[in-house]
Amino acid sequence: MEKLKKLANTKYFMTIMWILILVALWEVFAIIVSHTKRTPENILPHLSGIIESVFSRRTVNGDQTAVKMVMVNAAATLSRAGIGYVVGIVSGFALALLMSLWKPIEKIAFPYLMLIQMIPILGMAPIINALTGDINKSRIVIAAILTFYPVATNTLAGFKSVQKEKHELMYSYAAGKIRIYTKMMIPSCIPYFFTGLKISAPMAITASILVDTLQGGIGLGCLLSQALKGAMTRYVFWQIVFFSAIIGILSFSIMGLLEYIICPYKRTQKN
Amino acid sequence: MGENKNTEIMLKDIGMIYRTNDNKDVTALTSVNLDIQKGEFVSLVGPSGCGKTTLLRIIADLITPTSGEIKIAGETPREARLKRRYGIVFQGAVLYEWRTVLKNIMLPLEIMNVPKDEQEERAMKMLELVGLTEFANHYPNQLSGGMQQRVGIARALAIQPEILLMDEPFSALDEFTREKLHVDLLKIWRKTNKTIIFVTHNISESVFLSDKVCVLSPHPGRLSAVVDINLARPRTMEMKTTQEFTNLVAKVRNSFEGV
Repeated sequence: MEKLKKLANTKYFMTIMWILILVALWEVFAIIVSHTKRTPENILPHLSGIIESVFSRRTVNGDQTAVKMVMVNAAATLSRAGIGYVVGIVSGFALALLMSLWKPIEKIAFPYLMLIQMIPILGMAPIINALTGDINKSRIVIAAILTFYPVATNTLAGFKSVQKEKHELMYSYAAGKIRIYTKMMIPSCIPYFFTGLKISAPMAITASILVDTLQGGIGLGCLLSQALKGAMTRYVFWQIVFFSAIIGILSFSIMGLLEYIICPYKRTQKN
Repeated sequence: MGENKNTEIMLKDIGMIYRTNDNKDVTALTSVNLDIQKGEFVSLVGPSGCGKTTLLRIIADLITPTSGEIKIAGETPREARLKRRYGIVFQGAVLYEWRTVLKNIMLPLEIMNVPKDEQEERAMKMLELVGLTEFANHYPNQLSGGMQQRVGIARALAIQPEILLMDEPFSALDEFTREKLHVDLLKIWRKTNKTIIFVTHNISESVFLSDKVCVLSPHPGRLSAVVDINLARPRTMEMKTTQEFTNLVAKVRNSFEGV
């Protein structure tokens, strides 16, 4: 009993339990579906079927296997999401910095920043597409826009959370504005900044996939809609679903890891 | 009072009136006259609302009094601040959590453009002074409250100020740590010859540490007495049980008005 309790408290126990429960639920429904529907893979295939399709050497389109196709398209989508992500981070951080430096900018910009979050991506996409005149560019821009908001608001919250006494200390040192920012404001907002990065990393990827579906070309979303229309085996669709989920979680974890490396003081515990 | 070569801080008729949000004037301090000598250990003691912290913040140039005159070594508080004539220690240690202990102490030196190798040398010397050499590369969250506060003191002294301003620096600590830090602070004071202004609401603490206890009373905040503490130096814990000490504590306590 003691041992069981200890096991339940370990870091990975909950994760493993969750995965097992989800797999079990999935399989139960897959069994039900396979008995009641004529094309079960369209609704809920067995997990084994999806895994099998990943390792299958059968070509699905020309000379490409399913997994090869997914990877080629994923590379396109992820590089667009990546560029957009970086652009969003840089501009989000820059705006937060400006808002923190000059209060009028905060008053003008901050209340309306939320609007960005409220416009549906699918409504924004055609407009951006018309503005940029290139679907791939607009895919990058949308990833950037979605990254921008969480990064800007979290970073600004970080700037604002700096203790009053810390400011007073800087004042007592007669520190200039540049020193105040490089020595105090920016280092102290880093954890908040990373919160923004962690929120927006999976968002940039999902948004990229979603905007992919609007037009053709190379991209996970394009492939996804083709697979849904029956242009190739339905397992391509399932592979994309799982691949995107894994990449989304991974992107979040990578940001966590980066924070862990950049902020060594967060690792230390009171002894 | 009057002009004196040894006067470090001169407060003349200092008044501070705050305007609240509903446009009412609140008098935080009224006509404070006080001279503090070079190398003196002076406490400002009083209940909350008596303006003791306000007075400290006026000296630190964090706020400007609405009336009166203040001179720090003949200069305005602003000039004194720009010349880094004072170091300040708050109730919390206010350490920069992303910097190690050593780097925290080096921070003001970086801002003062002290050469790089001298920065570390001076910071290490300060750590030695507060007895935390072996914790140089620890992060603040690895230290106890008392140790953090000692780092705060080391950092304030690193800029080599003439004056050390302390705003209830030990009030968040437990009794045992506080008593230990009292003795340590007095040792540091003796070694460095700083003028110390120490804000507290603890009467016995103020008597034990100071040459002079300034008693402030509230509503409106005013200086109601200055009690000279003629206990021998160096002060020891044993003194706290003497009749002389208890008499002085009583004298300070009896100087409060309207509490």
